[in-house]
Amino acid sequence: MSDRLLSVNAYTTLDLLEGEAEAHEFTESAYAVVNATAPRKNPDHVKLELELDNAELDKLPAHADRVRLTPEQARTIAADLKKYANRVEDNLEDEE
Amino acid sequence: MVDAETDCLQVGPLGECMPTDVENWKSEVYGNEIREHLMEFAEEGWESIPEDEHDAWFERFKWWGLYHQRNGQESYFMMRIGTPNGVLKPGQTEVVAEIADEYARGPAQNPEFGDGYVDWTTRQSIQLHWIKLEDIPEIFDKLEANGLSTQQACGDSWRNIVGNPMAGKAPEFVDAWPVIKELNETFKGDDDHANLPRKWKVSVTGSPDGSGQGDINDLALEPAYKEIDGEEVRGFNVRVGGGLSRKEPRLARDIDVFVRPENAADVAGGISALFREHGDREDRYNARIKFLVDEWGTEKMRRVLQEEFVDFELESAGEDIREQYTYNAGGEEHGDLIGVHEQRDGNYYVGLNVLVGRMGADDTLELAAIAEKYGSGEVRISQRQNVMITDIPEAALDDLLDEPLLADYSPDPHPFMRGSVACTGTEFCSLSIVETKNRQVRYARWLKENVELPDGVADFHIHLSGCTASCAQPQIADISLRGMKTRKNGEPVEALDIGLGGGLGENPQFADWVGQRVPADEVPGAIENLLATFEANREGGETFREFIARHDEAELEAFIEPEETSYTDPYMHNTKMTWYPYAEEDGMDASPAPTDGEGNSIDATPADD
Repeated sequence: MSDRLLSVNAYTTLDLLEGEAEAHEFTESAYAVVNATAPRKNPDHVKLELELDNAELDKLPAHADRVRLTPEQARTIAADLKKYANRVEDNLEDEE
Repeated sequence: MVDAETDCLQVGPLGECMPTDVENWKSEVYGNEIREHLMEFAEEGWESIPEDEHDAWFERFKWWGLYHQRNGQESYFMMRIGTPNGVLKPGQTEVVAEIADEYARGPAQNPEFGDGYVDWTTRQSIQLHWIKLEDIPEIFDKLEANGLSTQQACGDSWRNIVGNPMAGKAPEFVDAWPVIKELNETFKGDDDHANLPRKWKVSVTGSPDGSGQGDINDLALEPAYKEIDGEEVRGFNVRVGGGLSRKEPRLARDIDVFVRPENAADVAGGISALFREHGDREDRYNARIKFLVDEWGTEKMRRVLQEEFVDFELESAGEDIREQYTYNAGGEEHGDLIGVHEQRDGNYYVGLNVLVGRMGADDTLELAAIAEKYGSGEVRISQRQNVMITDIPEAALDDLLDEPLLADYSPDPHPFMRGSVACTGTEFCSLSIVETKNRQVRYARWLKENVELPDGVADFHIHLSGCTASCAQPQIADISLRGMKTRKNGEPVEALDIGLGGGLGENPQFADWVGQRVPADEVPGAIENLLATFEANREGGETFREFIARHDEAELEAFIEPEETSYTDPYMHNTKMTWYPYAEEDGMDASPAPTDGEGNSIDATPADD
């Protein structure tokens, strides 16, 4: 096992998610950390990063993935997340 | 407005081009000017700080050792008192105790420690909590009248200089205290070194035990000797670029420089200036000098230092004495300063174990009284969160050892008590994910009652840090614990990542991280199982560190068997979401904060009923 790559502290967006990595040959699942952030100085992009707990990974090496987003892109994701959140919530309420 | 000549948005006080945000805040009002504003706000009260300027002002207050406490504790500050090399002169311990007693009390009590307590830190400093802005003028007056200061104990500058707290009294290869004193007087508060790219941690050790922990500091001076013009000269080898925080711990690297004590300040200043000029100011996460050493290598570092920042010929490295290092080394000898030790003047110092570094104000007052009665009144703080009483004549030792205070702060503690280090945690710190100090107290007690250490294992270091910031120095302990979360019975609960086999000494090594998200209540069971495995598979009298070193990662992962035991943990719930982890009504909406200077809630919005 290796050390974590992403810093994890109380400011990390979400530190306990169920994650999955899908490859052609295999799928691995593990707890995951997701973080949205921007550089503290001269913030010129939004960073969205994800790390699966490497302790639970057999095939994949320890790694963190990240994408750099423009403000517009970040908002697009936010809008989509919101849309699907509403959809899921409605469905879960219907089920009750 | 962009400066036409330099194409720079903000030209700083030293003529440098400053990036935005944090650097801007620093450039507008910085260093010693902040104090005036701080005092004005203190006079007028918490509400006089414009709400939209909170972040900016809290960043500036760090110059004066004040850290705003976390969500749910608004208007309260942690105050750090920087004591170079952890030295408290006669009379100063009493002052600290009195300030804790009067001012370090909040709206709720800690079930383990009450309130009004003193935290001895891993940088040989002092932290007090629940400090009100309105009390700062009185507190600063009292501190300064007694030679104590909070200046730049935090922020992007020279942090508290560390070393063997017993410098000047314990046997040393070379005298460290005069160097530490000179560095502190020269660079603390010096404008040229007040605005560095990032924090600057310096360690100077003169003793052969490695107790300054130089390897984890940005700049380390470690004892060395060299033959120069036919004469053996004692001085220091210079190492640069150690540091634990974030995900990239580094050991300080040898830059092939030997320095005489009288030149130490010039070289240290040169390296600090090098960092000031060349450290990364664009990306705070890449700013520590450890990353510059990574990028440049040690040869370039030495060359740039020689060419641009010192005006005499640097000596190449001398012979070090690292083979004698015992502190935190995980070797056969005790890796700390606890117990009775002879000073070089024939008197003794007595190191007392302070479990997780926290001492009530009453006990601290008692400590001061005992130091006065039996010694010189001096007290010293170590990086393992413990304290030393110095200058005890041999004839007084028996009586001192009989003092009731030493039953609670023992010079001969059980290894699990002795080995515990914990950071502040969710009790006060906004970075932490989990509760730490009370938890480590419970761990130590349970382990002491329930787990036997194998024969001859005199030390067992367990360091608990609430997050990846590593303030409890987890990477250099036998067992490293670091806060996380996991799911248990469907609920999110506090958990710890587990690392093994870290330590300093001649060949320092960071822990191997081998377990992730172990529920906090299963960690003692995991440690118990681990020690049983150690005992069963131990070869000869090998140390725990040696045992860990000879197993590969897969084997080590298998050693971690989390298990519920008779250990119970009252902090499994997400304590960072409480306003105070131990309050009966702990939801954020139950918080009394922010409060005025008297501790009365300031109603932000009128009551709704």
